[in-house]
Amino acid sequence: MERVKTLRKPKIESYIDYSLVFIVLFLLAFGLVMLYSTSSYEANLDYGDSAYYFKHQLGPTIIGLGAMIFMSYFPYRILKRFAFPIYVIALFLLLLLIPFGKVINNAKRWIIIMGISIQPAEVAKFATIVFTSTLIIKLQKRLMQPKGYATALAFPTALAFLVYSITSNLSSAIIIMGITVIMLFVSTPGYKRYIIAALSVLALATVIVLIVANSANSSGMNYRFKRILVWLDPAAYASGKGFQTLQALYAIGSGGIFGKGLGESMQKMGFIPEAQNDMIFSIICEELGLFGAIAVMLMFLLLIWRLMVIANNAPDMFGALLVIGVMGHIAIQVILNIAVVTNTIPNTGITLPFISYGGSAVIVQLAEIGMALNVARNIGR
Amino acid sequence: MKRRKEKNKQKFTIGMRKKLVVLFVLVLLAFVGLGVRLILITKNNGEEYQKQVLSQQQYDSTTIPFRRGEILDSNNTILAYSEKVYNVILDAKILLRDSKYLEPTVKALVRCFNLDGGEIRNYLSEHPSSQYYILAKKLSYSEISEFQGLITPGSDTYDENIQGVWFEESYIRKYPNGSLASDLIGFTSSDNTGMYGLEEYYNSVLSGTPGREYGYLDDDSNLERTTISATDGDSIVTTIDGNLQTIVEKHLKEFNEQYKNNAREGNGANNVGCIIMDVHTGDILAMASYPGFDLNNPRDTSALIGMPAVDEKGNKVQGESVYDSGVYITEEMLADFTDEQLYQNYNALWKNFCIADTYEPGSVAKPFTVATGLESGSITGDEVYNCLGKLEVGGWEIKCHNTYGDGYVSVSRGIEISCNVAMMYVAQAIGVNTFTKFQKDFGFGLKTNIDLAGEARTEGLTYSASNMTSTDLATNSFGQGFNVDMIEMITAFCSLINGGYYYEPHVVKKIVSSSGATIKNIEPRVLRQTISQSTSDKIIEYCNQVVAGAEGTGKTARPAGYMIGGKTGTAQTLPRGNHQYVVSFMGYAPASDPDIAIYVVVDRPNALYQDDAKFATRIVRAVLTEALPYLNYPMTEELSEKEIAELETLREQLVTTAVAEDENSEEGSEEAENTENAGDTENTEEAASEASSDTTSVDRSSIWESFDKDPTTGYYVDPSNGNLIDPDTGSVIGGDALPDFEGEPGEASSESSSATN
Repeated sequence: MERVKTLRKPKIESYIDYSLVFIVLFLLAFGLVMLYSTSSYEANLDYGDSAYYFKHQLGPTIIGLGAMIFMSYFPYRILKRFAFPIYVIALFLLLLLIPFGKVINNAKRWIIIMGISIQPAEVAKFATIVFTSTLIIKLQKRLMQPKGYATALAFPTALAFLVYSITSNLSSAIIIMGITVIMLFVSTPGYKRYIIAALSVLALATVIVLIVANSANSSGMNYRFKRILVWLDPAAYASGKGFQTLQALYAIGSGGIFGKGLGESMQKMGFIPEAQNDMIFSIICEELGLFGAIAVMLMFLLLIWRLMVIANNAPDMFGALLVIGVMGHIAIQVILNIAVVTNTIPNTGITLPFISYGGSAVIVQLAEIGMALNVARNIGR
Repeated sequence: MKRRKEKNKQKFTIGMRKKLVVLFVLVLLAFVGLGVRLILITKNNGEEYQKQVLSQQQYDSTTIPFRRGEILDSNNTILAYSEKVYNVILDAKILLRDSKYLEPTVKALVRCFNLDGGEIRNYLSEHPSSQYYILAKKLSYSEISEFQGLITPGSDTYDENIQGVWFEESYIRKYPNGSLASDLIGFTSSDNTGMYGLEEYYNSVLSGTPGREYGYLDDDSNLERTTISATDGDSIVTTIDGNLQTIVEKHLKEFNEQYKNNAREGNGANNVGCIIMDVHTGDILAMASYPGFDLNNPRDTSALIGMPAVDEKGNKVQGESVYDSGVYITEEMLADFTDEQLYQNYNALWKNFCIADTYEPGSVAKPFTVATGLESGSITGDEVYNCLGKLEVGGWEIKCHNTYGDGYVSVSRGIEISCNVAMMYVAQAIGVNTFTKFQKDFGFGLKTNIDLAGEARTEGLTYSASNMTSTDLATNSFGQGFNVDMIEMITAFCSLINGGYYYEPHVVKKIVSSSGATIKNIEPRVLRQTISQSTSDKIIEYCNQVVAGAEGTGKTARPAGYMIGGKTGTAQTLPRGNHQYVVSFMGYAPASDPDIAIYVVVDRPNALYQDDAKFATRIVRAVLTEALPYLNYPMTEELSEKEIAELETLREQLVTTAVAEDENSEEGSEEAENTENAGDTENTEEAASEASSDTTSVDRSSIWESFDKDPTTGYYVDPSNGNLIDPDTGSVIGGDALPDFEGEPGEASSESSSATN
């Protein structure tokens, strides 16, 4: 009996999803290497320090790892109680942008608190996951009724709308909505409405694209519609809006199967502006080739698969929903980012998780992973 | 406990798990789709995109400018050098990267370079993506050093908020002495190509090789960047003595000041040229012509004013009457010039009169005729000819300068008084074949190959034995009927007085690398022996008489305290009878053992009566008075009181560097005196010799000396026809030796009389 106790006890208390941890650490390390490779040329030109971006990413990564460890010990069930405060904090931070937001590259997306710049949109994504999970649990059966469903949609939609209207960051709004829809999709039975919704969104997009493509005068257009034109024919806008997209395609195409070798990219030398942000995947393709790119995609797929396994084995619905939110978040960002880089969809500014440059994003994403690890830790309890 | 929890806990149902798997499959499909897309891009467009990537790399990149070599005078004084200058370049893209850079950068630019801040801001807002905009051009290092400190990391004043400004290096050519030796040195165009003179002739030596910074692809298609630094051009050390050159140019300018707007609106003469040459090496010590121009600003129109205008072929625009020496550029004309006309006239200004213009030399050719006779054995030098004032050759009546006849003229006296008739007899004794052969030996009709750009081609401007008539031979004997340029004449003349060695004239004696190492020494080069030593000695003896002799035509060329030799020339121009002359003096010093030769040509002096060699001899005298002491030749002659006073004032001017105006007024009064009392020369000593010559010349039946003097001009007046006669030489002012060789022989105008002394 004593022996059985001692044998069982550690099994219960210290289940850690090592494969998930390994994948995340691998992606983080790989991301830092690629970030240094991609940004060193421009960093040296602009700041006289080739490791400028690397250093600025290293700090948040370490903080993020701390957040991940903390969240993996923080009982996820308590989050249910904090769900509403977290939502309010996210709202508050977004509203703070209006008076205190710092304008970089014509977009008001950062606030600086005690010398640390924070992107409230990233916090909003985390809040969406926690708050929607709580909402779905609270609504229970009412979720089946249209009113309950609408309530579950309304709160994240409000957040998404604020993100879009304040920061004019459409991609973050899309991600917030995407996370919500995925969570609702899993937690409600039936496919019909989702198929209808997906088809209608697709139809709407097609109509918009057709209208934009056939309009004679493009000069007075919103820049988002121009991006659609660029998407349809990037070569026609080679020197203007299509420059980044086209250069990214050149980078992918010129990489070949095994790439030019780590650090040997030519496109990073000023041709792909700010390649360390949205377009880092194109440099991965150029330096490591198809082989490297598909390996990275496989790593993300493994990550998503591990998250799915954790969700499926979650001790309760709330834990499962949290992990599904995280999974949805990462899946959406990876898919949209690669789709943008390959010009499969029009250009929106979406970063590649764990790899692209961005402090707030990496901290939030690691915190989410920590949350998933905590759910995993409770498997079997 | 556990149960209660399970009650509360909502289970993750099988249906949900299924949906989660469906979701995962959708994600998987999306990944597969994107993977396929990646593969397709690589497969379909891989090669094309690879080429695109390679083609948009910059391989050519920047050129690093070289520094053009310096031009130094013989004392290593810098005549031309290149200075590094900086263009201020604005990179709007980098500056606008962050709004905090804008204010400090614009403020610093306005403060350091006095730029208009509003303009910069306008440019930035209109061209936010521009990366190359020149804010200021050709600033010196001292002008940019303040700003340089602001943008250099590590300097005390470094301001990291100043961004997007950098300096582009280039060189500009500077000529510290302005217009000194302008025709000789030439200048450079903006792309560092030499134009005219040394800059053009030695362009390839002075030019270095520009460096390059470029990229290339190595074996693995990786871009490599390499810098090849520029090789600076070599410097040239000239034989020009800057001080001599300054002296020469000063006196050419003085001459111009004195005679400009005299008889006509315009410069003191169409052209004035002066060459000083080392007799024993062919080194050019000084070479100048007036007008010159500012090398630092060769397109300054003010230098054109007073010059005779030229047409599209570079020929002088004809005046309304044949007596007009040209049409002279005025400010009104300048305003009406088209760009083309302006450049035609610039070219006339920039070219070097001393090597580029040809003219009939006149009597300065007489020593060559005598040397030819002596060397070929056609004459012995002891001959005496009877000058009756004219000689009929080939049916033409060719006159002497003194139409009343010089009487019996020995060879020596023929040179001294410049007797045309004597020379014609000498030439007849020489014959066409020997005469033309010697002309070739003296280099007439050949380029001298002086190392300067723009030397005139004189081939075809002389006669060959086959087409030379007896009349041509007669006129050639006193320097009419064939054309030469200045450098040809003085180079040949040097061989007459140095024992017969014909040196190739040259301006550059050494080529030095940018680090100071000698690359090439240019040694004096004897091309041929023209005459023997004994002939040379005789020519020196004769030419000394031109200055020292009682009847010498070049007495006014003698500088105070020295004895020199030489020959005057007053050449008629075409068309004959146009009352326009090229007067000249070609001389050497010291008289006993010539070291330097000097040649001054005044092309159509701005005077009512142009046919007076004194326009040239006075310049020679003024130049040598300063040049010979400078060259440390000891004085051999006694100084008269007037000469002592003259040298005193000159010394004072040199010490105190008096204002140019004083100089001019002093010179002016002296000259005024000369013209008023033309019978006197500048000093009492010469006046004395003049007096003695008067007494002797009466015996020689100088008819003109019995005529009355015109009280206003000082010239004698021929009572029979009212012609004015020069009291020094007896030549008729405005008279010509040559008939107008048109129509039939014998129809020569009886009014035309003498010239070419």
